[in-house]
Amino acid sequence: MTFIDFEGRKLPVRDGDTVASVLQREGVTVLSRSFKYHRPRGLYCVSGDCPNCMVTVDGEPAVRSCITPAADGQRVARANGWPSVEHDVLSMTWFMRWALPVGFYYKLFTMPRWLWPFAQKIISRVAGIGPVDLTSKPEKLERRNHHPDLAVLGGGVAGLSAALSAARDGESVVLLDEGMIGEKVAPGPVRSAIDDLLQAVRAQSRVTIVERSPVTGVYEGPLVTAAAAKVLHMVHPGRIVVATGAAERHAVFPGSDLPGVWLGRGAARMAGVHGVRPGKQAVVVLGTEESLAHLETLRKAGVGIKLAVAPAALAARLPTDIPSLVDGQVVQANGRRHVKSVVVLTPTGDRRVVPCDTLVLSLGFTPRDGLLRQARQGTVNGAGQVVSPGCSVDEARASGTQAAQQRSSVPVEQSVANLPPVPEAGIVCICEDVSVGDLACAWREGYTSTEILKRYTTMTMGPCQGQMCHAHLRAFVRQQEPNVQWTSAATTARPPARGLTLAQASAGFDHHLELRTALHDRHLEAGARMGWAGAWHRAENYGDVLKEYWAVRRQVSLMDVGTLGKFRICGPDATEFLDRLYPMHVRTIREGRSRYTLMLNEAGYIFDDGMIALLAPNEFFVSTTSSGAESIEGWFRDWKETWKLKVHIVNQTAMLGAINIAGPHARELLSRVSTDPVDNAAIPYAGIARVTVRGISCLAIRVGFTGELSYELHHPASRSVELWNALMEAGADLGIAPHGLDALKVLRLEKGHVIISQDTDFDTTAGKIGLDWAIKMEKPFFIGRPSLDRLASIPPAKKLVPIRFAGDSAPDEGAQLMVGDERVGYLTSCRYSPLLKCGVSLGWVKLASGVLPAQVVAVSSNGKRRDVGDIATGPFYDPEGAKLRA
Amino acid sequence: MALRIDCPNCGSRPFTEFWFGGVLAGEPPTPESTIDPAAEFARVWYRSNVAGMQTERWFHFAGCRRWLTACRDTLTHAVHDVH
Repeated sequence: MTFIDFEGRKLPVRDGDTVASVLQREGVTVLSRSFKYHRPRGLYCVSGDCPNCMVTVDGEPAVRSCITPAADGQRVARANGWPSVEHDVLSMTWFMRWALPVGFYYKLFTMPRWLWPFAQKIISRVAGIGPVDLTSKPEKLERRNHHPDLAVLGGGVAGLSAALSAARDGESVVLLDEGMIGEKVAPGPVRSAIDDLLQAVRAQSRVTIVERSPVTGVYEGPLVTAAAAKVLHMVHPGRIVVATGAAERHAVFPGSDLPGVWLGRGAARMAGVHGVRPGKQAVVVLGTEESLAHLETLRKAGVGIKLAVAPAALAARLPTDIPSLVDGQVVQANGRRHVKSVVVLTPTGDRRVVPCDTLVLSLGFTPRDGLLRQARQGTVNGAGQVVSPGCSVDEARASGTQAAQQRSSVPVEQSVANLPPVPEAGIVCICEDVSVGDLACAWREGYTSTEILKRYTTMTMGPCQGQMCHAHLRAFVRQQEPNVQWTSAATTARPPARGLTLAQASAGFDHHLELRTALHDRHLEAGARMGWAGAWHRAENYGDVLKEYWAVRRQVSLMDVGTLGKFRICGPDATEFLDRLYPMHVRTIREGRSRYTLMLNEAGYIFDDGMIALLAPNEFFVSTTSSGAESIEGWFRDWKETWKLKVHIVNQTAMLGAINIAGPHARELLSRVSTDPVDNAAIPYAGIARVTVRGISCLAIRVGFTGELSYELHHPASRSVELWNALMEAGADLGIAPHGLDALKVLRLEKGHVIISQDTDFDTTAGKIGLDWAIKMEKPFFIGRPSLDRLASIPPAKKLVPIRFAGDSAPDEGAQLMVGDERVGYLTSCRYSPLLKCGVSLGWVKLASGVLPAQVVAVSSNGKRRDVGDIATGPFYDPEGAKLRA
Repeated sequence: MALRIDCPNCGSRPFTEFWFGGVLAGEPPTPESTIDPAAEFARVWYRSNVAGMQTERWFHFAGCRRWLTACRDTLTHAVHDVH
């Protein structure tokens, strides 16, 4: 025996039960409270359309219990009632409705202005359809792509026929259904037709049936998305057949939203599929062909029929043993928490009050055409009841077959012939509690078309997305302006057609690329705190930033710089290629030497920097920033293909590891482990040489970001760990310690080195950050040069400058810079320098008539901290670069 | 999501496999070309924001890693004539 946990009670579950059928069997009739007035709501459509049966299941709010299978141990609770949904004190808002007119949140609580924040808090507590569990962990879901010739939305008679027809023509088909195919349909001729067709479709290997996957949208492309519990299906079909059928026409009269009022198919489903009777004594309104079968189903389940109301044609076919009324009309349902009686208007104009506990309504059909109306591109056709509501099984079968064959879209006429009668009173939009009176009020206020009535009243914008009330909205406008066409047109349908969770909406998007260097595990062993730097995982620190910092400044230290972008560029046109690409001289780089270079886009703005080294004639080694490697490969290839030059571009980022040895003892350390000379003659500053370190062939480049003597060793990534261990071991007596990004950020600021994209913006030119020397305007051609010529006539309005702050701690990064009362800029980077005992920073400062101020005041974001800073002219540490060149 | 590009090297692929490389606006200069500053400025800076067909560059980073030129209808996202 299995049970669900319903608000602390254990309720037994039978085979084939939905959550709703379990609750109905146990006599739970109030399933939710309405959005605005907290009116009691119970099962109504039992087809997954209306909002009435929404409950919280296992912490997920707004789950439609009528289409959710019951499972053992499921936790089910009702939402939006206080103290409980059963006895909701807030339902008194119904009697306050004179004070809460349509659009009340635009009208009340807004004068005086300060009232609104309080009112908003109360309104958002009172309104709603259940709280979101803020402690829940986001789930990572997958996306699954399908590329069929035909996508069929809906597994009814028309949909199955369409799938079968296409499959027999040799096409691949994906058939999507909200639930399990056929499960919603009560036994009868329709159900047997579905069962037969399903068997035939299952025999076709070309048809993929995707069940329990509500289609949430039809997008351009076309693309169809369907949200299954754990997977987001993305269907990219050649053509689409929409066979979502029709829902029964929503009823609007006073009391029509009370628990105990059912739509015919829903009542028949509860009785016929689940074997649970909707009530004991029912008044049944028959208005469709199939309603006779529903009546029979209800009687078999033991529902007493107090009165059957039917038009003459159907009344003649009613069983003779039940009381009937020809051409009557139900005008009201009475009761506080459940139907107790209904008022029927006879053809002669008498009002008859019939005591009963259930009212079953089969008034007609409204096409479930939201998805059909969403489709704006490609070949999309409707089939079955969605285009001809109320059609027979044979007509649906033929329509499906025909739709599958269509090679172009047949436009659906938005006819007004099928609109329901105009409602006179009652709640017309059950999702958002909009009454007929509200509509009339909004009309008087000047909202005089379907589109703006929808926006103002929020009617059709609730969980049912207008399935219930959209036709009534059009009928209402039509009545007001019978001679104007456009005001009563169907509103624009947009995704999502069915609710989906944030996890489903973001399925597949949170699959991040994570890059690790070969030394990743080595860092973890050393106790590193790892952080993200773009897609890379890098060591931020090894526990003691200060120790790492002093190791670089006083002894020797290692840093894993394997994340740098590394390229080999060679071929007969390699020099020509790079000379066109870069703003510095490439032709004059000598073999065994390297140069720092900026990368400019065509607008002349800096987007990356790096180093370029000549290994042999027409053979270059080029490095880029860690984050830039991927996009710069694209950049290289773009220009190579544009200029049609003979160049090979090899991205070595992943195959090469790189370790930076930095500190006054760097040469001592390298000489201990290298078999090649590493003195100033062999590897001068900015020099590059092949050295063998403990049998590992390395490319040593004497560059560094820290301001100390340093060597970057580029080597096969497979030997990174070996090299790292050898260096750490050999440097033990030199006080070696690795350093992470935290220490590096202090070290580079002491040198005034800029990090492109942290300190710069998208429109930064070299002149603005003091790197004019890196742009060789004497070169006749390089990318960005024409733009720079033009920019030369515009003096820069601001500059990035080093700023020194006295004191024993540094101001916040991002602090605003002020001169007097004027805001002149902001800090892009700021750290406290242990060596210089002051704050070192870079910041943008506005020029006043071409001149920088001498002093600025940094104001923290909360305004409480103010630091006076002196604008410096050069690096704070080793301005002559003596240590670099040592 | 809906946009698909027929890569001549790899077949029909979703656009998420590509980087967008911008609108192809005229030929970029080479050292041999004489640069008309006004025309070059217009090429680099001015965007026509076409409602309809426009020629674009796409980089197939998750496939052949080649640049493609494609015509895309900005109204429908239909992509034609990829080469």
